[in-house]
Amino acid sequence: MKLLKIEKHQGYFFSKDQEYIPLDRITKESLLTLVDLALENDAEFDEFDEDQIKNQAHQIIYKSVYAKLSALSDEKEEFIDESKRLFLKEYEKYGGPSS
Amino acid sequence: MKKIDFHIHTVPTMSDANFTFSAVALKEYVSVANLDAIAITNHDMFDAAQYQEINSSLDVDVFPGIEVNLETGHVLIITDESNLDVFESCAKKIEGKIQKIGDKISIDEVKAIFGDLHKYLVIPHYEKKPAVRGDELVQVLGYAEAGEVDSAKKFIRVARDEGLVTPVLFSDIRIREGMSVFPTRQTYIDCGEISLGSLKKCLQDKTKVALSKEDGNKLFEVFANGQQISTGLNILLGARSSGKTYTLDRINDSIERAKYIRQFSLVQKEDAEYEREFSNDIKKKRSRFAEEYLGEFKSVLNDVVGIDLRANEVQVNSYIDSLLKSATEAERKDSFSKAALFDESLYSLKEDKVLSDLIGSVRQLIENVEYRKVIKKHVELQSLRNLALELIETLWEKEADRKKKAIVNAIVKDAKQRLRRRTSATQIEDVDLYQIKMDQVKVARFEEIVEQLRAEEEISKEHFQGFSVVTSKSPFAGAGEVKAVSGQKVAFSECYKDYSRPYKYLRALIANEALTPSEFYKYFVKIDYKILNRDGSEVSGGERSEFRLLQEIKDAQNFDILLIDEPESSFDNVFLKSDVNQMIKEMAAYMPVVVVTHNNTVGASIDADYLLYARKETIKGEVVYSLFSGHPTDSRLTSVDDHSIDNYDATLDALEAGKATYIERGRMYEAIKN
Repeated sequence: MKLLKIEKHQGYFFSKDQEYIPLDRITKESLLTLVDLALENDAEFDEFDEDQIKNQAHQIIYKSVYAKLSALSDEKEEFIDESKRLFLKEYEKYGGPSS
Repeated sequence: MKKIDFHIHTVPTMSDANFTFSAVALKEYVSVANLDAIAITNHDMFDAAQYQEINSSLDVDVFPGIEVNLETGHVLIITDESNLDVFESCAKKIEGKIQKIGDKISIDEVKAIFGDLHKYLVIPHYEKKPAVRGDELVQVLGYAEAGEVDSAKKFIRVARDEGLVTPVLFSDIRIREGMSVFPTRQTYIDCGEISLGSLKKCLQDKTKVALSKEDGNKLFEVFANGQQISTGLNILLGARSSGKTYTLDRINDSIERAKYIRQFSLVQKEDAEYEREFSNDIKKKRSRFAEEYLGEFKSVLNDVVGIDLRANEVQVNSYIDSLLKSATEAERKDSFSKAALFDESLYSLKEDKVLSDLIGSVRQLIENVEYRKVIKKHVELQSLRNLALELIETLWEKEADRKKKAIVNAIVKDAKQRLRRRTSATQIEDVDLYQIKMDQVKVARFEEIVEQLRAEEEISKEHFQGFSVVTSKSPFAGAGEVKAVSGQKVAFSECYKDYSRPYKYLRALIANEALTPSEFYKYFVKIDYKILNRDGSEVSGGERSEFRLLQEIKDAQNFDILLIDEPESSFDNVFLKSDVNQMIKEMAAYMPVVVVTHNNTVGASIDADYLLYARKETIKGEVVYSLFSGHPTDSRLTSVDDHSIDNYDATLDALEAGKATYIERGRMYEAIKN
């Protein structure tokens, strides 16, 4: 699934409604959906390329979102492990399936 | 009766301080302590070659064993010679798992390694640190025949309580080169022959286990030479300089946690010095009480210390300004300021403390051993476990959600900053109105709490042997009083001006950089701690000493033995008979007490369980100290080397200055009466 793409010199993000929407309309809610998707297996992004994006506001937002999401996608295992660190000992002791 | 010590270390491991093992010392210990059987139990390892050497060099039974680091505490696992090979390979597996300090192993892993633990003698640390606790203890007790304790006092307590396991007292000694003093912590077992099977069987029956060879749990060994004393009240008599204090000192050395009230330690010294000592003592107690009483207030205060209402106000104003300004600029927006992220607010990130606490509470319900029966009557343990699992899963989901929102916040912040740099448009300031409102509510509640806290009131009144200890609270009457409580040289007069408005007062305290925030809770209410005598007035000098003696005796409950050296040297007979004797008797009902005395009020009327008599003799120019002992009604007192003296003569000598004086005194009282 491509989460960020560059088309016609503009940046787009993949929305909850399965559509690509121009980056100047991205909100924190849509970012949260992207974070969820980036933690799934098949997240893809068009690489950030300044020359390809003419709209400067899109350039700024693309750069920022791309950097974070691609890093997150690379570290998704750590992210999931870290969230489950709390009370892990108890969880395993009381018979929960080991993660 | 067989005497055993099944907890002996012969190899220094990372869990011990370093030492060099000595086979000679072990041989001497076994002989001095008259042991019939021992077990070698090193930390998380078993050295088969060393075991075999020890076994062939000693005449007593030697059992192979290991002390394992479970998750909550230690457990001894002991086998016999016939199982040596299997045991060695199991121990190797334990050793493989415990590689560095702090490594632990679960009881399930231990079971997987040793197989059926019922084939072994299993003894967890029970009333001894580090004790096996909670769920782990319940599991271990499924295989254990006994629980290890570390003092005679705890042995008796566990032995008397039907709900508890059979206690055993072992030395836990490191056998090192050059040892000369040996411990006296061993256990007698009433079993015919010594085998793993017979020991396991005997240990299941509390009546077959004792602290002494012939007197059950009434006596226990206090010196390695076999000298016993009562597990209740002992009176130690003897002429001046006969070695009484020397004997007390030795007992003090041989028992790890002894409460020792030395002679004259409580006598009224120089008035000024005594006054200072007493008021320091009171101050300490008051501050301990205040600490406890103000504990909850302290956490409220910690929460409020971080709230800055003025900064919040500035934030709200700047939000409104930016909002209004941005509205007027609406027409002039460029592509940067039009982006949705330009004015995006951040997610509020709160940790779910309620859920964490809830998981903690369910865990307590699952792991509590003391009230397990009651809990199980109402809730199935499995349901509680399932509940814990679901709550933990919910917590993980929430935690993942929080972390995701933190990532979003980082992106929003970053993009906002970059967009702002490229435009002249006004960005709407971010403000967490929920938090700001919450801060206001917290401050209002804080003010109410301080108001109630300051109301004048007696908080507690404890009656203690005719004295009463009264604690009360009231507002501070001036800056000087706050300063006195703070114990610092900082002036409080500026802050104190706002004392009647708690939040403002707190801000003033924060503004004073010379003060430490963690101490602020002490500066809101005055706690008074007074000791009153029977008439309700504050205690006098003499009464203070009495009060302190009683307090010291009471404090002994936190120790394993109480030693008192000549209380009569500091107090009058009426006080000794009415208060001290009574309290000593109360303490001796559940712990060993030794009182050295010359005084017949203490010595003769206290109804001791056991009598010790110290004697100094000069034989062929050498001073020899001997100790004789027996029950108060025995006609003769005997020493460990089988000498004896007449009890009647010894007691009269010590308490009445001899038979002649006693008879003379009786005649004198008769004459007065007639």
